[in-house]
Amino acid sequence: MADIMRVNMSDLSVKKEPLAAKYAKFVGRALTDAIIFNEVPPKSDPLGAQNKLVFAPGLFGGTTAPNGGRISVGAKSPLTGGLKESNAGGQVAHALAKLGLAAVVIEGKAADPAARYVLDIDGAGNGSLMRADELAGLQTYETAAKMREFKGDAKVALVTIGPAGELGAKAAGIAFSDPKEYQNRWAGRGGLGAVMGSKGLKGIAVAATGAGLEHADKDAFIAAVRKFSTALKEHPVTGQGLPTYGTNVLANIINEAGGYPTRNFSDGRFAGVENVSGETMREITVARGGDVKHGCHTGCVIQCSRYYVDKDGKYVTKGVEYEGAWALGADCGIDDMDGIAALDRKCSDLGLDTIEMGATLGVYMEAGKLAWGDWKGALAALDGIVTGSADGKVLRDGAEATGKAFGVTRIPTVKHQAMPAYDPRPIQGIGVTYATSTQGADHTAGYSITSNVLGVGGTVDPLKPEGQAALSQGLQIATGMLDSFGLCIFVAFAVLDNPAAFEAIYEMASAHTGDTWTADDLMMLGKQALTMERLYNEAAGFTAADDRMPSFMLTEKLPPHDAVFTVSDADLDSVFDFVPETAKAMGISKPV
Amino acid sequence: MRIELALFASLEPYLPDSEPGSGRRTRMIDLPDGTTVGEVVARLGLPDQPRVCFIDGRGVKEDATIAGGSRLAIFPPVAGG
Ligand code: SF4
Repeated sequence: MADIMRVNMSDLSVKKEPLAAKYAKFVGRALTDAIIFNEVPPKSDPLGAQNKLVFAPGLFGGTTAPNGGRISVGAKSPLTGGLKESNAGGQVAHALAKLGLAAVVIEGKAADPAARYVLDIDGAGNGSLMRADELAGLQTYETAAKMREFKGDAKVALVTIGPAGELGAKAAGIAFSDPKEYQNRWAGRGGLGAVMGSKGLKGIAVAATGAGLEHADKDAFIAAVRKFSTALKEHPVTGQGLPTYGTNVLANIINEAGGYPTRNFSDGRFAGVENVSGETMREITVARGGDVKHGCHTGCVIQCSRYYVDKDGKYVTKGVEYEGAWALGADCGIDDMDGIAALDRKCSDLGLDTIEMGATLGVYMEAGKLAWGDWKGALAALDGIVTGSADGKVLRDGAEATGKAFGVTRIPTVKHQAMPAYDPRPIQGIGVTYATSTQGADHTAGYSITSNVLGVGGTVDPLKPEGQAALSQGLQIATGMLDSFGLCIFVAFAVLDNPAAFEAIYEMASAHTGDTWTADDLMMLGKQALTMERLYNEAAGFTAADDRMPSFMLTEKLPPHDAVFTVSDADLDSVFDFVPETAKAMGISKPV
Repeated sequence: MRIELALFASLEPYLPDSEPGSGRRTRMIDLPDGTTVGEVVARLGLPDQPRVCFIDGRGVKEDATIAGGSRLAIFPPVAGG
């Protein structure tokens, strides 16, 4: 992977250039970070011409490394105002990597705001922009269907935005096609769909015809792949729990722990949880003949994905994934699985992040604008985002904007981004991640649920502050590495418990690249990614005051444990203590 | 003493055939005073694999003693996110 494709939306040129030396040692998330760090002014307008949108496969993109085909997407975020790196499944990472592309960078901004373009990347890895105004305003699945029509029988991986992205909604995401060509894998968080929309780019079609990448040492690579695959299949979580029930299997256990945020984070238990749990969802889906086990991209051996179908067995939406089922369920007091699926589909159609929108609807309901549990009313409210209703113009920018507009004081956000499906008061380790992550409130950034609740990678008492900062720090660094390698973070469940799984990662990296990767190198890559993100955010104006919980979580006791968040500011401020040293070793101090 | 037992995911088939509890995957069961989590696990014949146990919403080890009136919930290894 030696080339970077630069797509200039201002003059409509597309150029391929070799990866500059300063980027050569980075891949995936670290490369996304490095490009933004070096090229996007931290104070620039996220929806302006200076922002750049980066798509970067990880180190294992284009290979058979198990679960190694995730895509890193990043830009300066219109939601958080900081560096946003969002990670998704789908087929595009493998497709780009196989064409020799380390990154595609969307720059500038179309002169005509009414114009829509599609970037076509052909089987030789060359890109061209096509005017496609007829796609304006089309929903996600319609957009994908039209783009496939343009392409005829050609095998392509698609990247699209929905109408929310075109409108500049701060909750707009970017969708990717899965192996069965459903446009349903998402880089949802942080408003990256609005960045793509601001540039006039409606979609990207990438030829999915390239050959698998060569390895420096093929035999060693195959051996390491086997070792990794075996470790993933043998671990009870990655080998059984996730493939059988999907991510929504978490609903009951997080509810049991008293950390399942209910009706806008006012309770830690949801009375309707059994109607919307992973177990129940599996029963419904199996009874209706839906698919309950597949990978979100080719090469996934865990296979936690599934399709939710209606009573006639017709596809409705992906998953529903745990986060979406919670956000559009318990957080809004909704316990109707078909209602949740309809809302998930609506978010997908419009091109909106399900986590942000569920949290937004929870805040909206708390404001008395809609009754708790009213999923039909919620569907209509979401429609208002594209029809341009007065409330829709507020809702589209997320939970914080909605809370402020309607006078709600319980707003569950950090760095302007809504919290996902774990209340940080009874699960304090995830609170440290929410508070300190460069990404705003984000569970994937450092998934402390592992040791806090799931008994994976040791045990740290979730109700106490002790040990949470160290736990979150270790996980945030490890995630920085996994996201850079293009590995799904769910491999971490096996990696945390089985040293062979961890070894297999650096053995695969060494055999693939011909460079020697060690355990320390892996962690250093994670630290480097986080260091660039952290320094960028500082230059964008973030201070320690932004690494804090919303104040209601320090005082308002959450039932059933009557928990408040008690991790000290000093502990929170220690999480990024490695940044100065890492920056020095990298020879960087501040972004462009 | 009487407690509420909840078994989730792949453990659900091990629910005893006793009085239903508050939820779909729960039963009321009678146990001698001082019973530990591990003794319940053995009594139910749960598979020999790791599990995550809660008494009244707090994570516990298998040597924890259960008090009458409490709720014991047991999960196989699960995750997501
Ligand atoms: S485990 Fe799930 S999220 Fe991860 S790569 Fe596989 S299907 Fe995608």
